[in-house]
Amino acid sequence: MIGRMIEAMPWRAATLALALLAAPAGGAAAQGHDTLTIGLSQATGTFHPNIESMLAKSYILGFARRPLTGHGPDWRPTCFACESIPTLENGQVALENTPDGKPGMRVTWRLRADLRWGDGRPVTAEDLRFAWEAGRAFETGFGGAEFYRQAYEFLSDGPRSVTLRFDRVSFDAGSAGGFEPLPAHIDRAIWEADRRNYRSRTAYDTNTTNPGLWNGPYRITAVQPGAGVTLERNDAWAGPAPAFRRINIRVVENSAALEAQLLAGQLDMIAGELGLSLDQAIALERRARGRFRFEYRPGLVWEHLDLRLDNPVLRDVRVRQALMLAIDRPRIVQSLFDNRQPVAATAIHPDDPMLDRSLAPWPHDPARAAALLEEAGWRPGPDGIRRNATGERLAIDLQTTAGNRSRETVLQVIQGQWRAAGIEGRIANQPPRVLFGETLSKRQFNGAVLFAWISSPENVPRTTLHSDEIPRAARNWSGQNYPGYSNPEMDALLEALPQELDAEKRRPLWARLQAMTHRDLPALPLWHRAEPHVWPQWLEGIRPTGNMSPSSLWVTDWRVR
Amino acid sequence: MLRIVAWRIPQIAATLLLLSLAAYLAIGAMPGDPIALAMMADPRLGPADIERMRALHGLDQPLLARWWAWLSGVLRGEFGYSRLFARPAAEILWPALRGSLVLLGTALGLAALLGIAAGSLAALRPRWRGAVDALALVSQALPAFWLGILMIILFAVTLGWLPAGGAPDAPGMLEALRYIILPVATLAIAHLAAYARHTAASMAEVLRAPWITAARARGAPERRIALVHALPNAAVPLLSLLALDAGALVSGALITETVFARPGMGKLLTDAVMGNDHNLALLALLLVATTTLLATLAADLAQRALDPRLAERRA
Amino acid sequence: MTRLRLGLAILACLALGALAAPWVAGWLGLDPDVPDLLARQAGPSPEHPLGTDELGRDILLRLLYGARISLAVGLAAAIASSLIGLAAGLLSAWRGGWVDALLMRLADFLLALPALPLLVLLAAMDPAAIGLPRGSAWGDVGRITLILALFGWVGVARLCRAAALSTLARDHIRAARALGVSEARLLRRHVAPALAAPLTVAGSLAVAGAILAESTLSFLGLGIQPPASSWGNMLANAQDLVFSAPMAALWPGLAIALAVAGAMLVADGLRGQDR
Repeated sequence: MIGRMIEAMPWRAATLALALLAAPAGGAAAQGHDTLTIGLSQATGTFHPNIESMLAKSYILGFARRPLTGHGPDWRPTCFACESIPTLENGQVALENTPDGKPGMRVTWRLRADLRWGDGRPVTAEDLRFAWEAGRAFETGFGGAEFYRQAYEFLSDGPRSVTLRFDRVSFDAGSAGGFEPLPAHIDRAIWEADRRNYRSRTAYDTNTTNPGLWNGPYRITAVQPGAGVTLERNDAWAGPAPAFRRINIRVVENSAALEAQLLAGQLDMIAGELGLSLDQAIALERRARGRFRFEYRPGLVWEHLDLRLDNPVLRDVRVRQALMLAIDRPRIVQSLFDNRQPVAATAIHPDDPMLDRSLAPWPHDPARAAALLEEAGWRPGPDGIRRNATGERLAIDLQTTAGNRSRETVLQVIQGQWRAAGIEGRIANQPPRVLFGETLSKRQFNGAVLFAWISSPENVPRTTLHSDEIPRAARNWSGQNYPGYSNPEMDALLEALPQELDAEKRRPLWARLQAMTHRDLPALPLWHRAEPHVWPQWLEGIRPTGNMSPSSLWVTDWRVR
Repeated sequence: MLRIVAWRIPQIAATLLLLSLAAYLAIGAMPGDPIALAMMADPRLGPADIERMRALHGLDQPLLARWWAWLSGVLRGEFGYSRLFARPAAEILWPALRGSLVLLGTALGLAALLGIAAGSLAALRPRWRGAVDALALVSQALPAFWLGILMIILFAVTLGWLPAGGAPDAPGMLEALRYIILPVATLAIAHLAAYARHTAASMAEVLRAPWITAARARGAPERRIALVHALPNAAVPLLSLLALDAGALVSGALITETVFARPGMGKLLTDAVMGNDHNLALLALLLVATTTLLATLAADLAQRALDPRLAERRA
Repeated sequence: MTRLRLGLAILACLALGALAAPWVAGWLGLDPDVPDLLARQAGPSPEHPLGTDELGRDILLRLLYGARISLAVGLAAAIASSLIGLAAGLLSAWRGGWVDALLMRLADFLLALPALPLLVLLAAMDPAAIGLPRGSAWGDVGRITLILALFGWVGVARLCRAAALSTLARDHIRAARALGVSEARLLRRHVAPALAAPLTVAGSLAVAGAILAESTLSFLGLGIQPPASSWGNMLANAQDLVFSAPMAALWPGLAIALAVAGAMLVADGLRGQDR
């Protein structure tokens, strides 16, 4: 509207002056498609694969290095640096006892023969030995400390064979968490010289453009801290050649600016993993369907409201169920998100192999919500808000991350829908750092907090549901069971699940877990967030995964049409 | 003059010291330390891990002790490591500083030039006064990010003349120029008003001075009076404005940098403060404060040199 | 005095709109804060004169209710900075010596700080920690006012100090002192009136600054919490969808510009640049 009006003005002089500076038509697209420019909404800190987990880093590293394993677009475990996923059947997983007689296991990976670092050296068992040693030495500061604690011994009978011995049995040990080859020929000496300061001296950050750090189809050739990264083809890469000579990653944190740069032709595509918000992408699709392709993949990002179960009001399961019944999730998903993200029954994603399909999401049922609240002693008050026998109003704090417009929007809708049911929601949003760093982790919230958990397929939710994982001062506030859910049956389930190696025998356990969270509602499930991928019409082969393995890991499938 | 400098420099040093302490404590007192954030990212960290990580990061020490350790590092020339960018803080600072200097240097230079020109015009040609006043009013009243986004919609998205932000791929002055036009315009519009107003006011005052009347009586041409007699004298009060803007030169422009996705000090400072990146935040804060304080001192000295009345008052 | 009148007229119109908000709400039969998912981003219509926002709420109503918050932030911050600034400036001019030195160094100190990151720092703190209620729009107004006043008083204090110094140096003050007039009476009867002019000018400029600052804080997600509307948070919320629904961003932007311009006109008028 505005644009059109001003366009019609006779601005000859200005046009003339600006025409000298005007862009060659098409901008990035005119470069003959040997360069791909991708917009990302988050900057990266370190480039070390094992230090700090950040989505932006994981997306960028997807182009430049191969992890040991990951999950494919079909959500099955898949090998990147190894030849096959270890299982009991193929003999690469063997049950055994630990030296002190506890049940344990031994897992063997065979490394791919053609994987080489950018300086031509092959990726060998030594690179994994270094990763394991560094991970086990606590002062290195790697993430996933639990994995390295359990993997107590490293064995190798050849440059391409790696075996770890674990002090417990777990069905997903073969997928190896964040365990991946690190360039021992570059970083081992640095690590050995000063383990405590390795995190700030690693070549990944002091010499990011060293080709020897990268074993993927691309390597990082330039870094603009906080602004972007340039990737170029890795000459040592022996797999299928990627289509683009160069990939530019541009960080644009403001979402309106991100969209503007796409529309102005400065960006070819926006990564779904970290890009536009869903409603923004839907609005964009309505106007620019011909120019770009849009794909929405509901990912393993579970948006939910954690409820504080020690709050006397919320301790009553009838109140929690009423809160759930009062939210019209189908309506929200339809009008705000164009039905692009599925309403969640529990934390388990609809594409997860362990989903219990017999369990339907809670419906929107105001009548039942009202009945439950009446039963729990909450009667309509004069101002439309329900009160209990002592005259206390049914008021619940509603919090989310300030600055996340999509969540703020949803929270206001929920507030409105609760009000219709006689429940007052008091919104008090906080910056992410405060909300995550203090309010949630030190359990200072008192009502409901809207945020998301990111997980992987068939991830046992021990840290969010086990009673040992309720954060408290005595445990240094570790654990993520923020609601304070405590149920011996759940604890037993969470302990039994990982040890059951037979997938079919795990199924009933998973079903029970889902039934319990569905009934008890320590958290109100909302939906599984969809990632909106936007790419140009001339590009094909991108497969959004919806899991923690970013689509960039399959960059060799990307083709210009 | 020397006495003033000798008196003010220690004051500046003391102010900086105090500032570093206040900022350190304020950032430290904010909720959500790095460990709490690491716990969010890695659910498998147990209580013992957290204990050891605190010791590893020195977070088990009291804030004051950490500040002291930081200070002694800085005095040895070690500015520490940026937690957020995983690089030495000084190395991160430089590109951001360069970005801000280029962006704000151009914008403020343009704003001062246009503002002084418009202000002089208003003072010398009264019939232009209304127009200049209106321009100043409008430019000062527009919220920066609104203006920025409107300009992006018009010039980048609808007309496609200029890039919507970011930095150029290809080197070259012309290319860099294309990328900087919109952010510079956004900032220059916001800053122009102050120069125009101050110039207009002090020019008007100077033009009423007796020695201007005397010059007119001598038959000096109007143009000469304006440029040679009035403008330099009217410029004296502008010096303090320039000094304040010198601070802005290094502290950057958060909103403009964000909307146009350009690296700069405003965004760096905010990110560092919000990201609990002590080393980077303090280094940047101190740089900004030092520049502002020194620029204020320089402006004071210049004013004294240009305006003898001020020198008498405190000598 | 045309400028003063124009400025006052603009501000009066906005204030009137703010006061009339509940009446307009009753007339339209709508609630400014309750989402209506069936009427998202509707264009102007008799039910919604300016259309609706991304949650189907009436933009006109939200603008009017937002005026209450935004103008309140502006006024409260201006009054608070003026009062602190007046006290500090007067004290510093009257006592002189180390009090003066201390206050003026403090002022230098605050001026040397880059304000925005510190505003962000302060805004990120938990209001409950300093005894302000969480989750109410007026609690947010208090928090933002406090933060803005913390930085805003400096300019006022300098102006007041300069004016007070020049008044105190006048002959009739010296004479009054010699006659044994009490210091309190001296300040009240002779110095305070001289400060009225610079104070009102600084105050109206502070109103403009505070309204702009509120929009900046909202842009960073640290302003007034939803669902209550302020011009700043309306503008910030509209930016994600600014390409598909530009009008939702246009209106609050215009309202801010109008209010700021009004306050500046008042300042100009008071400064006596009019003839």
